Amino acid sequence: MKKILSITLGILTAIGGFVDIGDLVANAATGARFKMALAGVVLIGVLGIIVYAEMSGRVAAITGRPVFDLVRERLGPNAGGANLIASFIINLLTLCAELGGVALALSMIASVNYILLIPVAAFLVWIVIWKMPFERMEEMFGLLGLMLITFLVALFHLHPPWHELLHSASHPAIPKNETPFTFAYYAIALFGAAMTPYEVFFFSSGAVEEKWTVDDLNLNRANVYIGFPLGGLLSLSIMALTTVVFAPRMISVDTLPQVALPVALSVGKVGLGLLIIGIFAATFGAALETAMSSGYCVAQYFGWQWGKFVKPREAARFHVVMLAAIVATTLFALTGVDPVKVTEYSIVLSAAALPLTYFPILLISNDRHYMGDHVNGRVLNFLASIYMVIIAVVAVVTIPLMIITKAGA
Amino acid sequence: MTAARKLWAVLDIMDRQLIDRQDRFAGTVDDVELAVADDGTISVTALLAGPGVLARRMRFHRLGPWLERFARWAVPAESEDPARIPLGRVADIGSAIHLSLDHEDMATMATERWFRDNIIDHIPGSTDAAE
Repeated sequence: MKKILSITLGILTAIGGFVDIGDLVANAATGARFKMALAGVVLIGVLGIIVYAEMSGRVAAITGRPVFDLVRERLGPNAGGANLIASFIINLLTLCAELGGVALALSMIASVNYILLIPVAAFLVWIVIWKMPFERMEEMFGLLGLMLITFLVALFHLHPPWHELLHSASHPAIPKNETPFTFAYYAIALFGAAMTPYEVFFFSSGAVEEKWTVDDLNLNRANVYIGFPLGGLLSLSIMALTTVVFAPRMISVDTLPQVALPVALSVGKVGLGLLIIGIFAATFGAALETAMSSGYCVAQYFGWQWGKFVKPREAARFHVVMLAAIVATTLFALTGVDPVKVTEYSIVLSAAALPLTYFPILLISNDRHYMGDHVNGRVLNFLASIYMVIIAVVAVVTIPLMIITKAGA
Repeated sequence: MTAARKLWAVLDIMDRQLIDRQDRFAGTVDDVELAVADDGTISVTALLAGPGVLARRMRFHRLGPWLERFARWAVPAESEDPARIPLGRVADIGSAIHLSLDHEDMATMATERWFRDNIIDHIPGSTDAAE
C-alpha cells in the first residue's frame, strides 16, 4: 500500500492532464467521429509527457528547482514573462472549466442545476488548498480518480470487436464526412491534452513539496512510468467505448452525461456510481492542479516563497494568487460558459505555448553545473529533440488550424 | 579565463533563485551591480533583487522607481537600500544562491509583508502548519 501511495503524485498529475473535464468529452467526441484513428496521437503524447515529466522531476529532485524557476532562469524576465502570462491564462481557463466540471459531476448525483454548485465546488477546492497537506491531497484524489478504470471495465464488458478497434488504430483513415483539417485539429487537441504544461508545473513542484532528493530518482521514474501511461490508457478506453457505442449510430458527443452513457449501458448503476466518483475526483484533481499551478508559476517566476510545506502566512503572495485565481474563475464560470468548450480552447492555446516551457527543461537537464552526473543520456536527448521539433510544429500550426476549422466544428 | 569570460560566468547567476539563511525563498537575482576598476577590470559588487529592480531592468520607467520607494518604506532594513545584496552576504552559489541574510530585511519581502498583514492573516488557519 505504501508503494501505491508513493506514486499518487504521478497518477493525480496524469489524470488531471489526460481525463479532466475537457478531455473526458474530447476523447469521447473523437471516438464517435474518427473511431480509433487518432489513438496513435495519444500514444505519441504519452511518450512525450513521459520524456519531459521525467526530466522535470529529475531536475527538481537533484537541484530543488521546479519548472517555472528554470523558465525564468533560462529565458530571462521577458520571454519568461511572456510564458508566465500565457501559462497563467491557460491555468485560469482550465480551472474555470474544471470548477464547472466538478459542479457537473455533483449535479449528476444531486439533481440541482450545476451552476448553483459552482460556488460549492470552488470553496471545496480552496479549502483543500488552504488546509490539506500536499501528500494527503494527492493520495486522496489520485486514488479516487482511479475509479475511472470503470471506463476500461465497461469496455471489456461490452466484448468489443478488438480486431476492428486495433485495425482502426493502426490504419488511421479520415472518415468521409471529415476534412484533413478537423482531423489535424483533433490530433492537436489530444496531443496538447497529453502534454499540457500544467502537468510539469504541478509534477515538478510536487516533487519539491515532497522534498525529493537524488535518492528519489527511482520514485520519480515510477511516478512517471506508471502515472502517464495510466492516463493514456483511460483516454484510449473512453475513445474505444464511444467508437463501439456511438460511431456506428452516427451520434456525436458533446456533453458529460453522454460520456457516461456507454458505461451505464455496459455495467449498470453500480458502475455508473463508481464512474461519477471517478469523474468528480478527476475534475477536482485537475482543479487543484491548475489552481496550484497558477500559484507555482507566478511565485517561481518572481522567486517568492511558495508551497504547502510552509504555513500559509509564510507564503502569503502564493496563497493570494491562488485565492484570486479561484475567485476570478468562479465568477467567470457562473456566467454559464460551457466548461467543455473552455478547456478545448485552453488545450489548443497551450499547444501554442509548449516550446517556451519544455525547452528550458531540456537545457537544464543537460547542464552539468546543475545536474552533475545525472544529465540526460544520448537516447533520451535524441527522443527529446524529436519532440522539440514536434512541439515547435504544433505550436506554429495550432492557431491557424483553430481558425480554419472553427475550433473543430 | 579572460576578463570577458569571467564576467560572463558571473552574469550566469542572473535570474537565479535566492534563498535566505532560514531556507526561505527570497526572490531572484533581478540584476547585478558592476564596478569598473582603474585598470579596466569589471567586477560584480552586489546582487540586486526586488520588484523595483526587475521593473527597471525590463524598462518600466515609472513602475520601477515607484516599487523601489514602496520597498524602502515597507522594509525597515538596516542598510539603506534593501534591494542591494553586497557580495559578502552571498554564502553559496549553486543551482540557487544562498544568502547569509534574513528574508525580512530584503526588498523582495515588501509586497509579501503587505499581503500577509492585510489579507492572509485575516483568514482563519493561516498559521496552521501544513503537516
